[in-house]
Amino acid sequence: MSAFHFEGLVWHWPIAIYLFLAGLSAGAVFFAIMLKHFKLFHEAWHSPFVQAAAIIAPIAVFGGLGILVFDLTRPLDFWKILVFYNTSSVMSMGVLVLMAYQVVLFAWIACVFHVRIGQLLGNRLAIVRRLLNWLVLQEAAITGILVILAISLGAYTGFLLSALIGFPLLNNPVLPLLFLISGLSSGAAATLLGGVLLRGNPNGVEVRFIHGIEIPLILVEIGLLFTFFAGLILSGGQSQVAALNALGFGFWGWIFWAGVIGIGLTLPLAFNLWMKVSADRKFAYVAVTASFSLLGVFLLRNFILYTGQMTGT
Amino acid sequence: MQVSKRQFLKGVGALLTGVSVYGATRTLQADSLLQPEPESETKYAMVHDENACIGCNACVQACREANQIPEGVTRVKIERKGPFGEYPNQSYRFSRVSCQHCEAAPCVRVCPTGAAYIDKETGIVAVNGDRCVGCQYCIAACPYQVRYIHPETRTADKCDFCQKTRLAQGLQPACVEACPTKALTFGNLKDPESELVKLLKAKPSYRAKVDLGTRPKLFHIQTIDGEIML
Ligand code: SF4
Ligand code: SF4
Ligand code: SF4
Repeated sequence: MSAFHFEGLVWHWPIAIYLFLAGLSAGAVFFAIMLKHFKLFHEAWHSPFVQAAAIIAPIAVFGGLGILVFDLTRPLDFWKILVFYNTSSVMSMGVLVLMAYQVVLFAWIACVFHVRIGQLLGNRLAIVRRLLNWLVLQEAAITGILVILAISLGAYTGFLLSALIGFPLLNNPVLPLLFLISGLSSGAAATLLGGVLLRGNPNGVEVRFIHGIEIPLILVEIGLLFTFFAGLILSGGQSQVAALNALGFGFWGWIFWAGVIGIGLTLPLAFNLWMKVSADRKFAYVAVTASFSLLGVFLLRNFILYTGQMTGT
Repeated sequence: MQVSKRQFLKGVGALLTGVSVYGATRTLQADSLLQPEPESETKYAMVHDENACIGCNACVQACREANQIPEGVTRVKIERKGPFGEYPNQSYRFSRVSCQHCEAAPCVRVCPTGAAYIDKETGIVAVNGDRCVGCQYCIAACPYQVRYIHPETRTADKCDFCQKTRLAQGLQPACVEACPTKALTFGNLKDPESELVKLLKAKPSYRAKVDLGTRPKLFHIQTIDGEIML
């Protein structure tokens, strides 16, 4: 059985990228909101990290959606997903969340950067200005809804796979939570990486804040991975076989142990802990740590997608 | 802060109200679905007698012709296991793999557009090609791995008990008619006088992967020789 081609494989790597980007977008938004509300307040729009998140989140979600559409066998019929709804379908509900998320995301970005947008507009387009003012009045509500939508979107990436009842490795209640948490950490990493690339201060309050959340996040992720596989192994039968196969010495076993656990979780955790004690954070540390986290989450998506589909009974 | 907190709560409140109103209307719909709606008199099912099957693949060929299935894909497969026993007393076990027309069909549940649906009149699980976008969610969700993308229409396809090609004309499915040993029986599960029900009452049968809760309507009568399955 080869790692990327085997009987019963239905969804290929484009789906893994889609799941990765959707989770990343949700995570970036989540951290940008946290930054604004707990650290930066009305100064948020000056922060390169919030700016990075405001750029990354829409691009990631558009890119992901683009890949999803491109991966359909009839891409031109995509609009049918928007017109016909099936309330029992995770995909249908997910697309609904995705659409609402995009609208609210832009509303939130407009609120955060309203001063700058106002400057750019000058005296032109009075309607846009009025709309902007109205949005700013609603900011708290918009933020609250966006948090809920972002969390739904992050979990949805896992629910999409866990609805596949024929695959014991995927049909697992921990999967949505695992995808949500790893999606959040990929969003944090993307925000940090984007922020320092936009010349944000690698030792700034934003980096310290995000790193403070990242350490518990990584620990929770390790705990969830453990629960995920322990659950499969303890339930015996096909699930046990599936889990042990995935974690074995094959190609995907290496991806899991070296890629997901090693590069994606252990190294960033070590770097984070180390940076916490050392007084000073430098560009390279922040960038490398963030890149490792991103790579790890990306590999996790592929690992789950492929090994999951290998377990068809 | 106070104002923004109240506003936040208002927003969340609105969202929750929306969700619960939606939920309430959903349950109303569900109730109206549960209530009268006279249940249809027909529920088609199929039996494959593995004792009679000789693995000649006549069914596969007949299906291909009747439903114009291109090379490379198929609506039905005959899986061969064996040989069991010592020469010259060897035997094989032939098992039909095709859509099970599940009562609780995972393919129908996951389809985002409703292209995969259960026909209320006949219980047949069918595909509405006009609605299918080819997301392949149904293919991944079917635990029996019997769905595929039709190479020409680019939509999901599978056995539909010949709903479009032969049932409409009052004919039996092509595979049933083509079988030289009469290993296949097709009929109405709700008609106690049907061949199908009589056969199911006469011989013990099994269904694949019932533990998944899909309630398949493809019944198998297991070979008497052949291996003992664990
Ligand atoms: S066997 Fe597969 S394709 Fe047929 S109804 Fe069941 S889930 Fe759907
Ligand atoms: S491939 Fe077609 S039939 Fe299958 S789930 Fe997607 S839209 Fe529905
Ligand atoms: S019932 Fe019809 S569609 Fe189904 S396998 Fe037989 S010939 Fe093919």
